[in-house]
Amino acid sequence: MSNTVSSSDNQNESRLNVLIIDDNEQITKMISSFLDMSNHECTVVNDGKEGVEQIKTHQYDSIVLDLAMPECDGYEILDILAKEDPSQLSKIIILTASNVPLETVRKFKELGISSCLQKPVDIDQLLSKITDLTG
Amino acid sequence: MIKIKQALFLIFGITSFIIFYIGFLNYITTQDKNVGLVILISSAIVSIGTFFATFYISNNLTKPIELLARRMNEFSKNNFITKNSLDDKGFSELQTLNKNFEDMARQVGGALEKEKLLNLNLQEMDTRKTEFMSMISHELKTPIMPIMGYLQMLKKEELMGKLNEKQLDAINEISISTKKLQKLIQDVLIAQKIDLGKLSVEKDILDAKVLVENAYKAFHPICENKDVKLVMILKTSDMVYSDLDRISQVFSNLISNALSFIPEKNGVIEIGTLDNSDNVTFFVRDNGIGIAKELQKNIFKKFYQVDTSSKRKKDGSGLGLSICEGIVRTLGGKMWVESKINQGTTIFFDLPKAKIPLENLKQKKNSKNTK
Repeated sequence: MSNTVSSSDNQNESRLNVLIIDDNEQITKMISSFLDMSNHECTVVNDGKEGVEQIKTHQYDSIVLDLAMPECDGYEILDILAKEDPSQLSKIIILTASNVPLETVRKFKELGISSCLQKPVDIDQLLSKITDLTG
Repeated sequence: MIKIKQALFLIFGITSFIIFYIGFLNYITTQDKNVGLVILISSAIVSIGTFFATFYISNNLTKPIELLARRMNEFSKNNFITKNSLDDKGFSELQTLNKNFEDMARQVGGALEKEKLLNLNLQEMDTRKTEFMSMISHELKTPIMPIMGYLQMLKKEELMGKLNEKQLDAINEISISTKKLQKLIQDVLIAQKIDLGKLSVEKDILDAKVLVENAYKAFHPICENKDVKLVMILKTSDMVYSDLDRISQVFSNLISNALSFIPEKNGVIEIGTLDNSDNVTFFVRDNGIGIAKELQKNIFKKFYQVDTSSKRKKDGSGLGLSICEGIVRTLGGKMWVESKINQGTTIFFDLPKAKIPLENLKQKKNSKNTK
Protein backbone atom coordinates (compact mmCIF):
# COMPACT_ATOMS: atom_id res chain seq x y z
CA MET A 1 0.00 0.00 0.00
CA SER A 2 2.71 2.43 0.98
CA ASN A 3 4.48 1.45 -2.21
CA THR A 4 1.66 2.58 -4.46
CA VAL A 5 1.28 5.84 -2.57
CA SER A 6 4.93 6.69 -2.96
CA SER A 7 4.91 5.81 -6.63
CA SER A 8 1.92 8.02 -7.29
CA ASP A 9 3.64 10.73 -5.29
CA ASN A 10 6.58 10.44 -7.62
CA GLN A 11 4.38 10.67 -10.64
CA ASN A 12 2.55 13.62 -9.15
CA GLU A 13 5.73 15.61 -9.38
CA SER A 14 5.73 15.20 -13.14
CA ARG A 15 1.99 15.18 -13.68
CA LEU A 16 1.50 16.00 -17.32
CA ASN A 17 -1.35 17.65 -19.12
CA VAL A 18 -2.09 15.69 -22.29
CA LEU A 19 -4.56 16.43 -25.10
CA ILE A 20 -5.80 13.53 -27.23
CA ILE A 21 -7.36 14.29 -30.60
CA ASP A 22 -8.84 11.20 -32.25
CA ASP A 23 -12.27 10.53 -33.71
CA ASN A 24 -12.28 6.95 -32.43
CA GLU A 25 -13.92 7.01 -29.01
CA GLN A 26 -12.73 3.55 -27.99
CA ILE A 27 -9.15 4.57 -28.56
CA THR A 28 -9.42 7.91 -26.78
CA LYS A 29 -11.19 6.24 -23.84
CA MET A 30 -8.49 3.60 -23.55
CA ILE A 31 -5.60 6.06 -23.75
CA SER A 32 -7.22 8.55 -21.38
CA SER A 33 -7.98 5.90 -18.77
CA PHE A 34 -4.42 4.62 -19.06
CA LEU A 35 -2.96 8.11 -18.65
CA ASP A 36 -5.38 8.78 -15.84
CA MET A 37 -4.27 5.62 -14.03
CA SER A 38 -0.69 6.65 -14.63
CA ASN A 39 -1.52 9.92 -12.87
CA HIS A 40 -1.52 12.29 -15.78
CA GLU A 41 -4.10 14.88 -16.67
CA CYS A 42 -5.89 14.02 -19.89
CA THR A 43 -8.30 15.92 -22.16
CA VAL A 44 -10.07 14.06 -24.94
CA VAL A 45 -11.39 15.62 -28.12
CA ASN A 46 -13.07 13.50 -30.80
CA ASP A 47 -13.20 16.22 -33.43
CA GLY A 48 -10.46 18.06 -35.27
CA LYS A 49 -11.93 21.56 -35.07
CA GLU A 50 -12.51 21.24 -31.36
CA GLY A 51 -8.92 20.05 -31.10
CA VAL A 52 -7.64 23.28 -32.65
CA GLU A 53 -9.81 25.28 -30.23
CA GLN A 54 -8.41 23.36 -27.27
CA ILE A 55 -4.83 23.90 -28.38
CA LYS A 56 -5.46 27.63 -28.82
CA THR A 57 -7.20 28.12 -25.48
CA HIS A 58 -5.32 25.74 -23.17
CA GLN A 59 -1.76 24.93 -22.33
CA TYR A 60 -0.80 21.28 -22.85
CA ASP A 61 2.45 19.47 -22.23
CA SER A 62 1.84 17.10 -25.08
CA ILE A 63 -0.73 16.49 -27.81
CA VAL A 64 -1.56 13.04 -29.22
CA LEU A 65 -2.93 13.56 -32.71
CA ASP A 66 -4.71 11.18 -35.07
CA LEU A 67 -4.34 11.87 -38.80
CA ALA A 68 -7.47 10.46 -40.44
CA MET A 69 -10.51 12.26 -39.06
CA PRO A 70 -13.72 13.45 -40.71
CA GLU A 71 -14.01 17.15 -41.57
CA CYS A 72 -10.87 18.62 -40.02
CA ASP A 73 -8.12 15.99 -40.16
CA GLY A 74 -4.70 15.82 -38.58
CA TYR A 75 -2.92 17.33 -41.57
CA GLU A 76 -5.22 20.36 -41.47
CA ILE A 77 -4.55 20.80 -37.78
CA LEU A 78 -0.80 20.67 -38.47
CA ASP A 79 -1.27 23.27 -41.23
CA ILE A 80 -3.16 25.60 -38.92
CA LEU A 81 -0.59 25.23 -36.17
CA ALA A 82 2.33 25.74 -38.57
CA LYS A 83 0.77 29.06 -39.64
CA GLU A 84 -0.60 30.32 -36.37
CA ASP A 85 1.37 28.80 -33.53
CA PRO A 86 4.42 26.75 -34.65
CA SER A 87 5.69 26.42 -31.08
CA GLN A 88 2.88 23.89 -30.47
CA LEU A 89 4.23 21.54 -33.15
CA SER A 90 7.05 20.22 -30.99
CA LYS A 91 4.46 18.94 -28.49
CA ILE A 92 2.73 16.76 -31.04
CA ILE A 93 2.86 12.98 -31.15
CA ILE A 94 1.19 11.60 -34.24
CA LEU A 95 -0.74 8.38 -33.70
CA THR A 96 -2.21 6.93 -36.85
CA ALA A 97 -3.46 3.72 -38.40
CA SER A 98 -2.85 5.06 -41.89
CA ASN A 99 0.27 4.36 -43.77
CA VAL A 100 2.52 7.37 -43.58
CA PRO A 101 5.01 7.51 -46.46
CA LEU A 102 8.64 8.12 -45.56
CA GLU A 103 8.54 11.51 -47.26
CA THR A 104 5.69 12.63 -45.02
CA VAL A 105 7.57 11.43 -41.94
CA ARG A 106 10.50 13.58 -43.10
CA LYS A 107 8.17 16.56 -43.50
CA PHE A 108 6.88 15.99 -39.98
CA LYS A 109 10.46 16.04 -38.75
CA GLU A 110 11.10 19.30 -40.58
CA LEU A 111 8.09 20.74 -38.76
CA GLY A 112 9.63 19.64 -35.47
CA ILE A 113 7.45 16.58 -34.89
CA SER A 114 9.70 13.76 -33.86
CA SER A 115 7.18 11.03 -33.08
CA CYS A 116 4.95 9.36 -35.62
CA LEU A 117 3.50 6.20 -34.06
CA GLN A 118 1.55 3.50 -35.85
CA LYS A 119 -1.65 2.08 -34.40
CA PRO A 120 -1.90 -0.28 -32.66
CA VAL A 121 0.79 1.21 -30.48
CA ASP A 122 2.28 -0.22 -27.32
CA ILE A 123 0.81 1.98 -24.58
CA ASP A 124 4.06 1.96 -22.61
CA GLN A 125 5.83 3.24 -25.70
CA LEU A 126 3.21 5.95 -26.10
CA LEU A 127 3.63 6.98 -22.46
CA SER A 128 7.40 7.08 -22.75
CA LYS A 129 7.11 9.30 -25.86
CA ILE A 130 4.80 11.62 -23.92
CA THR A 131 7.15 11.84 -20.97
CA ASP A 132 10.22 12.14 -23.24
CA LEU A 133 8.73 15.22 -24.88
CA THR A 134 8.44 17.05 -21.63
CA GLY A 135 11.52 15.64 -19.98
CA MET B 1 7.91 13.81 -106.39
CA ILE B 2 5.76 13.84 -109.50
CA LYS B 3 1.99 14.02 -109.21
CA ILE B 4 -0.46 11.78 -111.08
CA LYS B 5 -1.96 14.89 -112.66
CA GLN B 6 1.41 16.06 -113.92
CA ALA B 7 2.32 12.62 -115.23
CA LEU B 8 -0.98 12.31 -117.09
CA PHE B 9 -0.69 15.75 -118.66
CA LEU B 10 2.90 15.03 -119.61
CA ILE B 11 2.08 11.71 -121.32
CA PHE B 12 -1.15 12.81 -123.02
CA GLY B 13 0.29 16.24 -123.85
CA ILE B 14 3.27 14.74 -125.63
CA THR B 15 1.00 12.19 -127.37
CA SER B 16 -1.48 14.84 -128.58
CA PHE B 17 1.36 17.15 -129.61
CA ILE B 18 2.90 14.31 -131.67
CA ILE B 19 -0.49 13.57 -133.29
CA PHE B 20 -1.02 17.27 -134.09
CA TYR B 21 2.59 17.59 -135.28
CA ILE B 22 2.22 14.61 -137.65
CA GLY B 23 -1.02 16.15 -138.98
CA PHE B 24 0.75 19.51 -139.40
CA LEU B 25 3.79 17.94 -141.18
CA ASN B 26 1.42 16.03 -143.42
CA TYR B 27 -0.44 19.29 -144.29
CA ILE B 28 2.82 21.07 -145.22
CA THR B 29 4.31 18.25 -147.28
CA THR B 30 1.17 16.91 -148.99
CA GLN B 31 0.16 18.00 -152.48
CA ASP B 32 -3.53 17.45 -151.95
CA LYS B 33 -4.16 20.37 -149.60
CA ASN B 34 -7.79 19.36 -149.07
CA VAL B 35 -6.90 15.92 -147.71
CA GLY B 36 -4.05 17.56 -145.75
CA LEU B 37 -6.48 20.04 -144.18
CA VAL B 38 -8.90 17.29 -143.18
CA ILE B 39 -6.06 15.38 -141.51
CA LEU B 40 -4.80 18.57 -139.80
CA ILE B 41 -8.26 19.43 -138.43
CA SER B 42 -8.95 15.89 -137.27
CA SER B 43 -5.54 15.69 -135.59
CA ALA B 44 -6.28 19.02 -133.90
CA ILE B 45 -9.65 17.66 -132.71
CA VAL B 46 -7.95 14.51 -131.39
CA SER B 47 -5.40 16.66 -129.55
CA ILE B 48 -8.05 18.86 -127.96
CA GLY B 49 -10.14 15.75 -127.18
CA THR B 50 -7.14 14.15 -125.54
CA PHE B 51 -6.58 17.27 -123.45
CA PHE B 52 -10.13 17.21 -122.11
CA ALA B 53 -10.00 13.44 -121.59
CA THR B 54 -6.79 13.88 -119.63
CA PHE B 55 -8.42 16.60 -117.56
CA TYR B 56 -11.41 14.34 -116.88
CA ILE B 57 -9.36 11.25 -116.03
CA SER B 58 -6.97 13.20 -113.88
CA ASN B 59 -9.80 14.77 -111.90
CA ASN B 60 -11.63 11.50 -111.37
CA LEU B 61 -8.45 9.70 -110.45
CA THR B 62 -6.75 12.18 -108.18
CA LYS B 63 -9.71 13.71 -106.30
CA PRO B 64 -10.79 10.43 -104.60
CA ILE B 65 -7.17 9.50 -103.92
CA GLU B 66 -6.54 12.88 -102.36
CA LEU B 67 -9.70 12.47 -100.30
CA LEU B 68 -8.57 9.01 -99.16
CA ALA B 69 -5.18 10.40 -98.17
CA ARG B 70 -6.85 13.21 -96.21
CA ARG B 71 -9.14 10.79 -94.40
CA MET B 72 -6.31 8.40 -93.57
CA ASN B 73 -4.39 11.29 -92.12
CA GLU B 74 -7.41 12.40 -90.13
CA PHE B 75 -7.99 8.86 -88.89
CA SER B 76 -4.42 8.31 -87.79
CA LYS B 77 -4.58 11.57 -85.84
CA ASN B 78 -8.00 11.34 -84.22
CA ASN B 79 -8.94 7.66 -84.57
CA PHE B 80 -12.13 8.72 -86.31
CA ILE B 81 -13.26 10.36 -89.57
CA THR B 82 -15.95 12.88 -90.37
CA LYS B 83 -18.54 11.90 -92.97
CA ASN B 84 -18.50 14.12 -96.06
CA SER B 85 -20.62 12.74 -98.89
CA LEU B 86 -20.00 15.83 -101.07
CA ASP B 87 -16.55 14.45 -101.70
CA ASP B 88 -17.89 11.26 -103.27
CA LYS B 89 -16.56 11.84 -106.74
CA GLY B 90 -14.34 9.99 -109.14
CA PHE B 91 -14.19 6.54 -110.65
CA SER B 92 -16.50 4.03 -109.05
CA GLU B 93 -13.65 1.67 -108.00
CA LEU B 94 -12.00 4.51 -106.14
CA GLN B 95 -15.32 5.54 -104.64
CA THR B 96 -15.74 1.97 -103.37
CA LEU B 97 -12.23 2.10 -101.96
CA ASN B 98 -13.10 5.32 -100.16
CA LYS B 99 -16.36 3.92 -98.86
CA ASN B 100 -14.69 0.73 -97.64
CA PHE B 101 -12.03 2.72 -95.89
CA GLU B 102 -14.72 4.82 -94.28
CA ASP B 103 -16.48 1.67 -93.00
CA MET B 104 -13.24 0.21 -91.72
CA ALA B 105 -12.25 3.44 -90.03
CA ARG B 106 -15.63 3.66 -88.37
CA GLN B 107 -15.34 0.10 -87.02
CA VAL B 108 -11.75 0.42 -85.86
CA GLY B 109 -12.55 3.82 -84.40
CA GLY B 110 -15.46 2.31 -82.48
CA ALA B 111 -13.30 -0.53 -81.18
CA LEU B 112 -10.59 1.91 -80.12
CA GLU B 113 -13.17 4.05 -78.37
CA LYS B 114 -14.43 0.99 -76.50
CA GLU B 115 -10.91 0.01 -75.52
CA LYS B 116 -10.23 3.51 -74.27
CA LEU B 117 -13.34 3.33 -72.12
CA LEU B 118 -12.33 -0.09 -70.85
CA ASN B 119 -8.88 1.19 -69.98
CA LEU B 120 -10.36 4.10 -68.11
CA ASN B 121 -12.59 1.70 -66.22
CA LEU B 122 -9.61 -0.48 -65.35
CA GLN B 123 -7.65 2.51 -64.12
CA GLU B 124 -10.57 3.58 -62.00
CA MET B 125 -10.90 0.07 -60.59
CA ASP B 126 -7.20 0.02 -59.77
CA THR B 127 -7.44 3.32 -57.93
CA ARG B 128 -10.50 2.07 -56.08
CA LYS B 129 -8.70 -1.13 -55.13
CA THR B 130 -5.81 0.88 -53.70
CA GLU B 131 -8.18 3.19 -51.86
CA PHE B 132 -10.11 0.20 -50.56
CA MET B 133 -6.93 -1.44 -49.30
CA SER B 134 -5.78 1.65 -47.47
CA MET B 135 -9.27 2.02 -45.98
CA ILE B 136 -9.32 -1.63 -44.89
CA SER B 137 -5.85 -1.29 -43.46
CA HIS B 138 -7.00 1.67 -41.39
CA GLU B 139 -10.24 0.04 -40.31
CA LEU B 140 -8.61 -3.25 -39.33
CA LYS B 141 -5.77 -1.74 -37.38
CA THR B 142 -7.92 0.72 -35.43
CA PRO B 143 -9.94 -1.74 -33.28
CA ILE B 144 -6.79 -3.73 -32.45
CA MET B 145 -5.44 -0.68 -30.65
CA PRO B 146 -7.92 -0.59 -27.71
CA ILE B 147 -7.77 -4.40 -27.40
CA MET B 148 -3.98 -4.36 -27.08
CA GLY B 149 -4.09 -1.30 -24.84
CA TYR B 150 -6.53 -2.78 -22.33
CA LEU B 151 -4.67 -6.10 -22.34
CA GLN B 152 -1.48 -4.28 -21.45
CA MET B 153 -3.26 -2.37 -18.75
CA LEU B 154 -4.83 -5.51 -17.29
CA LYS B 155 -1.37 -7.03 -16.98
CA LYS B 156 -0.22 -4.09 -14.86
CA GLU B 157 -0.96 -4.91 -11.26
CA GLU B 158 -0.40 -1.34 -10.10
CA LEU B 159 -3.03 -0.01 -12.53
CA MET B 160 -5.84 -2.54 -12.44
CA GLY B 161 -5.18 -4.65 -9.41
CA LYS B 162 -3.95 -8.19 -9.02
CA LEU B 163 -5.45 -10.84 -11.26
CA ASN B 164 -5.69 -14.46 -10.33
CA GLU B 165 -3.87 -17.10 -12.32
CA LYS B 166 -6.89 -18.09 -14.44
CA GLN B 167 -7.55 -14.50 -15.38
CA LEU B 168 -3.90 -14.00 -16.29
CA ASP B 169 -4.05 -17.13 -18.42
CA ALA B 170 -7.11 -15.85 -20.23
CA ILE B 171 -5.44 -12.49 -20.82
CA ASN B 172 -2.33 -14.18 -22.20
CA GLU B 173 -4.42 -16.24 -24.60
CA ILE B 174 -6.23 -13.12 -25.82
CA SER B 175 -2.85 -11.44 -26.23
CA ILE B 176 -1.47 -14.27 -28.33
CA SER B 177 -4.51 -14.36 -30.59
CA THR B 178 -4.58 -10.60 -30.96
CA LYS B 179 -0.90 -10.56 -31.91
CA LYS B 180 -1.54 -13.25 -34.51
CA LEU B 181 -4.43 -11.24 -35.89
CA GLN B 182 -2.25 -8.16 -36.01
CA LYS B 183 0.51 -10.05 -37.82
CA LEU B 184 -2.01 -11.43 -40.29
CA ILE B 185 -3.36 -7.95 -41.05
CA GLN B 186 0.18 -6.68 -41.57
CA ASP B 187 1.02 -9.61 -43.84
CA VAL B 188 -2.09 -9.18 -45.98
CA LEU B 189 -1.32 -5.48 -46.36
CA ILE B 190 2.31 -6.06 -47.30
CA ALA B 191 1.29 -8.76 -49.78
CA GLN B 192 -1.18 -6.31 -51.30
CA LYS B 193 1.45 -3.59 -51.55
CA ILE B 194 3.85 -5.98 -53.25
CA ASP B 195 1.10 -6.89 -55.72
CA LEU B 196 0.45 -3.25 -56.50
CA GLY B 197 4.18 -2.53 -56.74
CA LYS B 198 3.82 -0.01 -53.95
CA LEU B 199 6.06 -1.47 -51.29
CA SER B 200 8.22 1.37 -50.00
CA VAL B 201 11.87 0.63 -49.44
CA GLU B 202 14.61 2.83 -48.07
CA LYS B 203 17.95 1.65 -49.40
CA ASP B 204 21.28 2.17 -47.81
CA ILE B 205 24.73 0.63 -47.99
CA LEU B 206 24.62 -2.25 -45.54
CA ASP B 207 27.16 -4.78 -44.37
CA ALA B 208 25.97 -8.29 -45.28
CA LYS B 209 27.68 -9.63 -42.18
CA VAL B 210 25.79 -7.24 -39.90
CA LEU B 211 22.47 -8.21 -41.50
CA VAL B 212 23.07 -11.86 -40.66
CA GLU B 213 24.34 -10.99 -37.19
CA ASN B 214 21.20 -8.96 -36.51
CA ALA B 215 19.03 -11.92 -37.42
CA TYR B 216 21.21 -14.17 -35.28
CA LYS B 217 20.90 -11.86 -32.27
CA ALA B 218 17.14 -11.60 -32.67
CA PHE B 219 16.58 -15.35 -32.86
CA HIS B 220 19.33 -16.72 -30.65
CA PRO B 221 17.31 -16.55 -27.40
CA ILE B 222 14.21 -18.07 -29.03
CA CYS B 223 16.26 -20.93 -30.51
CA GLU B 224 18.02 -21.55 -27.22
CA ASN B 225 14.65 -21.77 -25.49
CA LYS B 226 13.47 -24.35 -27.98
CA ASP B 227 16.77 -26.25 -27.83
CA VAL B 228 17.54 -25.49 -31.46
CA LYS B 229 21.09 -24.86 -32.64
CA LEU B 230 21.36 -21.59 -34.56
CA VAL B 231 24.58 -21.34 -36.57
CA MET B 232 26.08 -18.43 -38.49
CA ILE B 233 28.12 -19.16 -41.64
CA LEU B 234 29.68 -16.10 -43.27
CA LYS B 235 31.50 -16.62 -46.55
CA THR B 236 31.57 -12.96 -47.50
CA SER B 237 31.39 -9.62 -45.80
CA ASP B 238 30.49 -7.57 -48.85
CA MET B 239 28.25 -4.54 -48.74
CA VAL B 240 24.76 -4.62 -50.20
CA TYR B 241 22.63 -1.67 -51.25
CA SER B 242 19.33 -2.50 -49.65
CA ASP B 243 16.71 -1.89 -46.96
CA LEU B 244 17.68 -2.88 -43.41
CA ASP B 245 14.15 -3.27 -42.02
CA ARG B 246 12.85 -5.23 -44.99
CA ILE B 247 15.79 -7.65 -44.85
CA SER B 248 15.22 -8.20 -41.12
CA GLN B 249 11.61 -8.92 -42.01
CA VAL B 250 12.71 -11.51 -44.58
CA PHE B 251 15.13 -13.17 -42.16
CA SER B 252 12.54 -13.16 -39.40
CA ASN B 253 9.95 -14.83 -41.64
CA LEU B 254 12.42 -17.40 -42.95
CA ILE B 255 13.78 -18.32 -39.53
CA SER B 256 10.26 -18.53 -38.03
CA ASN B 257 9.35 -20.83 -40.91
CA ALA B 258 12.43 -22.96 -40.35
CA LEU B 259 11.59 -23.19 -36.65
CA SER B 260 8.22 -24.75 -37.39
CA PHE B 261 9.67 -27.40 -39.71
CA ILE B 262 12.77 -28.65 -37.88
CA PRO B 263 12.68 -31.97 -36.02
CA GLU B 264 11.73 -31.85 -32.35
CA LYS B 265 15.18 -33.05 -31.35
CA ASN B 266 18.53 -31.94 -32.75
CA GLY B 267 17.07 -29.11 -34.77
CA VAL B 268 19.70 -27.03 -36.55
CA ILE B 269 19.19 -23.77 -38.39
CA GLU B 270 22.06 -22.25 -40.34
CA ILE B 271 21.99 -18.67 -41.56
CA GLY B 272 24.65 -16.88 -43.54
CA THR B 273 26.05 -15.57 -46.79
CA LEU B 274 27.70 -17.00 -49.89
CA ASP B 275 29.73 -15.00 -52.35
CA ASN B 276 29.19 -14.57 -56.04
CA SER B 277 30.21 -11.90 -58.50
CA ASP B 278 27.41 -9.30 -58.61
CA ASN B 279 25.28 -10.29 -55.68
CA VAL B 280 25.52 -11.41 -52.13
CA THR B 281 23.57 -14.61 -51.58
CA PHE B 282 21.97 -15.04 -48.18
CA PHE B 283 20.53 -18.31 -46.97
CA VAL B 284 18.49 -19.87 -44.20
CA ARG B 285 18.91 -23.64 -43.93
CA ASP B 286 17.10 -26.10 -41.70
CA ASN B 287 17.42 -29.82 -41.16
CA GLY B 288 13.66 -30.25 -41.17
CA ILE B 289 11.16 -32.36 -43.05
CA GLY B 290 12.00 -30.89 -46.45
CA ILE B 291 9.76 -30.11 -49.40
CA ALA B 292 9.04 -32.57 -52.22
CA LYS B 293 10.49 -31.54 -55.59
CA GLU B 294 7.07 -31.23 -57.26
CA LEU B 295 5.79 -28.92 -54.51
CA GLN B 296 8.81 -26.61 -54.46
CA LYS B 297 7.56 -24.43 -57.28
CA ASN B 298 4.45 -23.56 -55.25
CA ILE B 299 5.98 -22.41 -52.02
CA PHE B 300 6.35 -18.75 -53.04
CA LYS B 301 2.69 -18.55 -54.05
CA LYS B 302 0.31 -16.66 -51.84
CA PHE B 303 -1.64 -18.69 -49.26
CA TYR B 304 0.15 -21.89 -50.24
CA GLN B 305 0.93 -24.34 -47.45
CA VAL B 306 2.99 -27.46 -47.89
CA ASP B 307 0.78 -29.75 -45.89
CA THR B 308 2.83 -32.92 -45.75
CA SER B 309 1.86 -34.21 -42.37
CA SER B 310 -1.46 -33.85 -40.63
CA LYS B 311 0.14 -34.77 -37.33
CA ARG B 312 1.98 -31.51 -37.22
CA LYS B 313 -0.20 -28.46 -37.13
CA LYS B 314 1.35 -25.39 -38.74
CA ASP B 315 0.51 -21.87 -37.86
CA GLY B 316 0.46 -19.07 -40.33
CA SER B 317 -1.45 -17.74 -43.26
CA GLY B 318 0.74 -19.08 -46.03
CA LEU B 319 1.77 -15.53 -46.79
CA GLY B 320 5.22 -15.53 -45.17
CA LEU B 321 7.28 -16.90 -48.03
CA SER B 322 5.36 -15.06 -50.73
CA ILE B 323 6.01 -11.81 -48.84
CA CYS B 324 9.71 -12.66 -48.50
CA GLU B 325 9.93 -13.36 -52.20
CA GLY B 326 8.08 -10.12 -52.99
CA ILE B 327 10.32 -8.05 -50.74
CA VAL B 328 13.48 -9.55 -52.25
CA ARG B 329 12.11 -8.96 -55.74
CA THR B 330 11.31 -5.34 -54.85
CA LEU B 331 14.87 -4.97 -53.58
CA GLY B 332 16.19 -6.13 -56.94
CA GLY B 333 17.07 -9.69 -55.96
CA LYS B 334 15.61 -13.13 -56.35
CA MET B 335 14.70 -15.98 -54.03
CA TRP B 336 14.86 -19.72 -54.60
CA VAL B 337 14.68 -22.98 -52.73
CA GLU B 338 16.74 -26.17 -52.50
CA SER B 339 15.28 -29.01 -50.52
CA LYS B 340 15.33 -32.76 -50.01
CA ILE B 341 12.68 -34.71 -48.15
CA ASN B 342 13.75 -35.51 -44.59
CA GLN B 343 17.08 -33.74 -45.08
CA GLY B 344 16.06 -30.15 -44.86
CA THR B 345 15.31 -27.02 -46.79
CA THR B 346 17.46 -24.06 -47.75
CA ILE B 347 15.94 -20.81 -48.88
CA PHE B 348 18.41 -18.59 -50.74
CA PHE B 349 18.08 -14.97 -51.70
CA ASP B 350 20.28 -12.68 -53.70
CA LEU B 351 20.73 -8.98 -53.09
CA PRO B 352 22.68 -6.62 -55.35
CA LYS B 353 26.07 -5.58 -54.02
CA ALA B 354 26.55 -1.93 -53.21
CA LYS B 355 27.95 -0.39 -56.37
CA ILE B 356 28.93 3.00 -55.04
CA PRO B 357 32.69 2.37 -54.70
CA LEU B 358 32.75 0.69 -58.11
CA GLU B 359 30.95 3.61 -59.73
CA ASN B 360 33.35 6.00 -58.09
CA LEU B 361 36.20 4.07 -59.66
CA LYS B 362 34.53 4.21 -63.05
CA GLN B 363 33.98 7.93 -62.72
CA LYS B 364 37.65 8.39 -61.96
CA LYS B 365 38.56 6.34 -64.99
CA ASN B 366 36.19 8.32 -67.16
CA SER B 367 37.55 11.62 -65.98
CA LYS B 368 41.04 10.40 -66.79
CA ASN B 369 39.91 9.35 -70.24
CA THR B 370 38.32 12.68 -70.96
CA LYS B 371 41.53 14.44 -70.02
